[in-house]
Amino acid sequence: MSVPVGHYQYDQIDRDFLDARIAEFSEQVARRIDGTLTEDEFKPLRLMNGLYLQLHAYMLRIAIPYGTIDSKQMRMFAYIARRYDRDYGHFTTRQNIQFNWIKLEETPDILRDLARVDMHAIQTSGNCIRNVTSDEFAGAAADELVDPRIHAEILRQWSTLHPEFTFLPRKFKIAISGSPNDRVAARFHDIGILARPGDDGRTVFRIFVGGGLGRTPIIGQEIFDAVPEERLLATLEAIVRVYNAHGRRDNIYKARIKILVQALGIDAYREAVEAELAQMDLEHYRLTPDMVDAIQARFAVPTLSAPGNPAQELANKRRENPEFDLWVRSNTHPHRDAGHIIAVVSLKPAGGIPGDATSAQMDRLADLADEYSFGELRITHLQNIVLGHVRQDRLYDLWTSLKEVDLASANIGLIGDIVACPGLDYCALANARSIPIAQKLGARFGDASLQAEIGALRINISGCINACGHHHAGHIGLLGVDKRGEEFFQITLGGRAENGASIGTILGPALPEDDTVDAIARLVDRYLGMREKGETFLDTLDRLGDAPFKEAAYETV
Amino acid sequence: MKRAVRVGTDEKLVLTANRLLDGVIVWRDRLGQWRPHIGVAEKLDAEQVAPVLELAQARAQADGVVGVYEVAVKDVEPPEPVTVRERIRAYGPTVHPEFAVETVQ
Amino acid sequence: MRLFELGERIAKVHESLVTLPELAENTDVRAVLLDIADDPAALKPYLNRLELVVLRFPIFRDGRVFTQARELREYLRFSGEIRAEGHVLPDQAAFLKRCGVDSVVLPDGSDPALWERQLSRFPVAYQRSVLPSRPVGAGLRVEEGT
Ligand code: HEM
Ligand code: SF4
Repeated sequence: MSVPVGHYQYDQIDRDFLDARIAEFSEQVARRIDGTLTEDEFKPLRLMNGLYLQLHAYMLRIAIPYGTIDSKQMRMFAYIARRYDRDYGHFTTRQNIQFNWIKLEETPDILRDLARVDMHAIQTSGNCIRNVTSDEFAGAAADELVDPRIHAEILRQWSTLHPEFTFLPRKFKIAISGSPNDRVAARFHDIGILARPGDDGRTVFRIFVGGGLGRTPIIGQEIFDAVPEERLLATLEAIVRVYNAHGRRDNIYKARIKILVQALGIDAYREAVEAELAQMDLEHYRLTPDMVDAIQARFAVPTLSAPGNPAQELANKRRENPEFDLWVRSNTHPHRDAGHIIAVVSLKPAGGIPGDATSAQMDRLADLADEYSFGELRITHLQNIVLGHVRQDRLYDLWTSLKEVDLASANIGLIGDIVACPGLDYCALANARSIPIAQKLGARFGDASLQAEIGALRINISGCINACGHHHAGHIGLLGVDKRGEEFFQITLGGRAENGASIGTILGPALPEDDTVDAIARLVDRYLGMREKGETFLDTLDRLGDAPFKEAAYETV
Repeated sequence: MKRAVRVGTDEKLVLTANRLLDGVIVWRDRLGQWRPHIGVAEKLDAEQVAPVLELAQARAQADGVVGVYEVAVKDVEPPEPVTVRERIRAYGPTVHPEFAVETVQ
Repeated sequence: MRLFELGERIAKVHESLVTLPELAENTDVRAVLLDIADDPAALKPYLNRLELVVLRFPIFRDGRVFTQARELREYLRFSGEIRAEGHVLPDQAAFLKRCGVDSVVLPDGSDPALWERQLSRFPVAYQRSVLPSRPVGAGLRVEEGT
């Protein structure tokens, strides 16, 4: 079997482990069905394997480690959508995929099917270390210093059925990036890691702790500036151990590590971690260069050859076709190789459901990945799909094929690229529906040239304070609230997840759905009227403050 | 998931749960059977509900359901949930009309 | 009380079991019950005479027990028996063993066969624990036990 580009290749040892995990879960399901396990006991066990009980049915969340899959795996998602669900799946902001109409009694079969392509649902929920997320342009971006996926894989393995950290006070999310341009929202994670090359040729890590969104949005703080590779696992063990011992367990809203870091202060937290490290047998936890190299060897690197003058050919096509040009402008990113380019496929058609893909689209994306990008696909934290290594002279053909299946929306990073959580249509915790308002906004701003005119502007929508739609981090954020049984939306402005992360501020009283859509249309108009040359929405907001936007939003209400 | 249910003057309560094996939303009818349509749900007065709920919860494992709780409905035929959340549970996600659950028996 | 042995040490029944505050006054007691909120480091002065430390799960989801056990083994080098009691599930058997727990007080109705099966469930582990281990293949994977 050939080694996949972009993710770790399992061997028989990994497969045996996975089979054992599936056997264990199947027995847990059987014990639940025969009543040996109560629902209260089963719930944490099923969550640890990604199985929720949602509004309408069970929901299964499947891990996509560091967001990278190969075409075989994508085809398996398509198969699962057809065979066990209602012919579609939903890609999430944590680079996972969720299926919404799953039957408990069929989950062991689904897990066995997934295992045939080396996939699983381990630790995609529950109070444990969750699926590790990474940069969607990893291994391809021109601005990258190190490919973070090798260490992301190491963290995936290290955290898998960790004996000490499987019953933490609350869920625990780690993100890792190898680029100075943070594309993983490192400072909004329980632990955010930025990797860079060290002097000795090995990698060093800058580590943030205590970030998060949810009910209490907090920006993570730096705990260590330069952790050497061989100390990476020891350091993480120590950070999580302090949290496991001292994190609050009396109130689930105060149980995340961010609350503990706030309570102790970052300096005291660091001291506590250093005290652990001082007692630990560091040799025991050492991540040796051999281990790293062995794991790296399981990743194939694409052979990037692009003869001729691909850049020139691309430029020609862009001149000939303005629609293509518009798409290239928003939906691509520079590749480290001059003849290649990174293409982002939008899962946000105007008026569609952000992040949903049908089995036919998944199959088609798998084919296109084989044809144009070494069979590799990535899921972005903005719920889109990346083909990482496309030859520039073949980009036009890729775009033409995408158009045929309605996957060529030119809106990445623009107002139509809306992030929305499942909301009240699926989620048992929601106050309001997130999808319908996303669809209305998407339709309102559907026109590609209007979107290009508006420029970089991100809308994020959450159906409740848990903030799965990252509304705090949206340039415009919408939070669903419940006013006496009615769905209302609170607008926040100025959030951002990129470098210089900040949390949006609330604009004013919450509005009903249609009024919210109108208010956003008015404040976007106001921005277009007030911006100076070259300004983005955030630039104008930073320059003028939110008063003029508030005035526009609440004008007629 | 359990929320305090307030019952207005022209409102009644019905019992709901998910089926253990497949997660399907079910409603408790007059005979104590769990069925997938709210149209057949037995409407109870606020004063009546406590013992019925307690019994249904105690029998949940034997009946193959999970997460039994009460839902406020308008006292019409068929009963219609008061909150958006419960309407979505009863009739299906609003964004996929093709998955609508019909309400007739 | 039914004891289940996880396999590292033979479980022994002790006549008297005291709490941490009582330990100082009872100089001949060899077994202590740690509260879930107790810091194992507080046992330092008594390690020489202690034969058994009992850790108690208030509920199976409270994972502090795992860290307590690990600190006892790794930091304090405690070589006596560690026992878990309270609300604990067979699904946790291997986690407990790997953190240094030797025995479990089986909750009422708990089936020892399930516990036994959990212990041999996984052929390898992806991270180091307190058990002796040998690498398997390349990378992080180890096979544990003696
Ligand atoms: C429908 C099922 C879902 C349920 C029941 C659910 C539940 C929750 C809950 C309770 C929290 C808050 C946790 C806390 O702050 O301690 C949360 C946070 C979060 N969820 Fe979800 N969620 C669901 C779907 C999703 C989806 C579809 C996405 C991605 C689009 C997502 C991504 C996130 C993220 C990124 C957070 C992070 C907030 C943080 O780190 O503080 N969730 N979710
Ligand atoms: S933000 Fe709230 S409504 Fe949306 S998915 Fe998360 S928990 Fe559900």
